[in-house]
Amino acid sequence: MADDWEPPLPPGYNDAHRAFLQAFMARGTLTFREGRKLLAAIASASNAGRDGDSDGEGEGEGHGHGHGPVNPDSITMADFESWVRTVREAVEPLDFDVRNTRDQVRGERVWAFVNAHSDPVTQLGTARTPDEVAYVKRLLDAMFDQHNTPRMEVMAVDEGQALRASRPRGRESQAGGDADAGEEGTQAPAAARPLKHSEVLALLASLVAEGWLRKSQDGFYDLTPRALMELWPWLVETYNDPEPADGDWQRIKFCEACKEIVTHGQRCDNLDCTVRLHDICDEAFWRTRSARTCPKCGTPWEGNHFVGERAVTTRAGFQRGRGARRRTEAAQNDEEPVDEEEEEGA
Amino acid sequence: MPPPPRRRPQELEEEEEEEDTQQIPDHVDEDGDEPMEDADADAGGEMNTMIKNLVRYALACEFSRTPIRRDAIRDKVLGPRGRSFKKVFAGAQKQLRATFGMEMVELPTKDRNLLTTEQKRKAAKSQSQKEPTSNAYILVSVLPEAYTTPNIIPPSKVQSADGEAAYIGLYTIIIAIITLSGGELSEPRLRRYLTRLNAAENMPSMNPHDATAPSEKTDAVLQRMVKQGYLVKVTESRSAGDDEGTTWHVGPRGKIEVDKEAIANVVRAVYGGSSGELEKKLETSLKIKGRSRGGEGAVEEEEVEEAPPDGDPGPSHHRRHGRR
Ligand SMILES: [Zn+2]
Ligand SMILES: [Zn+2]
Repeated sequence: MADDWEPPLPPGYNDAHRAFLQAFMARGTLTFREGRKLLAAIASASNAGRDGDSDGEGEGEGHGHGHGPVNPDSITMADFESWVRTVREAVEPLDFDVRNTRDQVRGERVWAFVNAHSDPVTQLGTARTPDEVAYVKRLLDAMFDQHNTPRMEVMAVDEGQALRASRPRGRESQAGGDADAGEEGTQAPAAARPLKHSEVLALLASLVAEGWLRKSQDGFYDLTPRALMELWPWLVETYNDPEPADGDWQRIKFCEACKEIVTHGQRCDNLDCTVRLHDICDEAFWRTRSARTCPKCGTPWEGNHFVGERAVTTRAGFQRGRGARRRTEAAQNDEEPVDEEEEEGA
Repeated sequence: MPPPPRRRPQELEEEEEEEDTQQIPDHVDEDGDEPMEDADADAGGEMNTMIKNLVRYALACEFSRTPIRRDAIRDKVLGPRGRSFKKVFAGAQKQLRATFGMEMVELPTKDRNLLTTEQKRKAAKSQSQKEPTSNAYILVSVLPEAYTTPNIIPPSKVQSADGEAAYIGLYTIIIAIITLSGGELSEPRLRRYLTRLNAAENMPSMNPHDATAPSEKTDAVLQRMVKQGYLVKVTESRSAGDDEGTTWHVGPRGKIEVDKEAIANVVRAVYGGSSGELEKKLETSLKIKGRSRGGEGAVEEEEVEEAPPDGDPGPSHHRRHGRR
């Protein structure tokens, strides 16, 4: 390696791009609305710098706006995308990536700064204790295995179910077990410590605050667009059969229209069929078709079979029992105290 | 993908820090580099991988406010080729500056007068003529000030942006109080200030939206500030004949992230704005920063030799920030 080595950078890359990147990393995600506010603030700062001393730095794309403060409305989608492309090009050699997806509930497009090859351990490894990371794996198992069956594709858990994952199960290493087995020689992982219920609740709240989990009005936790962007390759690898026979049910499925992962959407009325569709893709999809029937099996598509928490919440039983269910669940949680036998660990 | 950094018990790190400094002579790096490496095309690729891994490790550490430690870099990034530390480090610095507008800054060593009398005696025996280094780094932004305003770079989402902001506010105020008190604050006086801030018992938690734990015990928060290097707590043993007991000081990360300007801003906020008189007082107070320490007789002489004149490493061109 020669001493005159320079890191590869996109042409024209300057401090304004670096500020955009730092801002993006601090936020984790950006929508276009947030992005244009941010770019306006950066362009204003660049202009202020230019007005102060005219060494000409900071003339990037999208802000040849001259002087003074810049109006966010003047930033176009093309501007924003060009900035995103530039920082993506800058971080790609470092195994970071910028991905985007539409929020499956709100439909808004979201851009995220992610690790290119991510699993829950790399994502949470430095900021969380090993026990917390182990819990998050169990939580993902609960979402994508236990509560994601051919009949009920919930892919979300309520608080009671999240608490029930506080304790390691015998089959702890099933999900992502291959990686663990590989490392066995170096660090035989001691059985993970169960988390106290209070610890689980605090962890869930901070995962929500950090933008990894979303908590719905009905009290279900599912993965945010950001978490899905970062983890979907890992989810596929962990929960799907690598060589499925044609028509086999798979835990992780993709939208018939946009080809992105579905954790909140509609499913074919034929419960043996694997076709899924986002609510947000529904309208445009059917507009291009002559009949509202499943493109694979031909069953009429009623749009009242769901993937996500509605697989539970639209059931008559849930509607009737809303209040009662909550009480029961609370009672169950009290019956399962984990706290007592814990030694006060680090 | 670098393996996720393993945690080491905190106490161990604290103890080892001093020792390591002495045992790893800097020149090993230069002498150890084999000239053959550079001719080898493969070594270039390997070097790139190590630079990439160090950059990623540094960013991950910063996210959890763990110092980037030289021995951890050797463990996790360099592996068997530990000898190319200098080259990998220099490459990672270049990459961090060029891509992210950040750089690694070495944390100041523990102030000698923050050691207990016993530790000082030990240190005096073992310490050679060499300048001690901390061998630990943090990431700071090197972008022009115009770009580091909160509307561009907000508090990061480590726990939640609001909790982060409250936390930054608290350590900034405490560091300001310590600094304006001459760099040292006794335990009872810290507690009195905390009572005035209505934070004697509890402080906002890192995640005030957490219904189950919107606040946290003050002692737990102070402990985190110590662990992350914002504060240093020194407890003098009784046998030293010192009744003072526990004192609080500004930690290495605090010195870098909370500079004089940030402290002045706290004071201005407390006094409801700036005035000529206030600015004058600020100038005087912040200049005498750290000078009024001492008063421990024999120890003071050592300090004169070893510590820089005002004990303040604060590199003025590094603005506080680092937080991503
Ligand atoms: Zn879709
Ligand atoms: Zn079908």
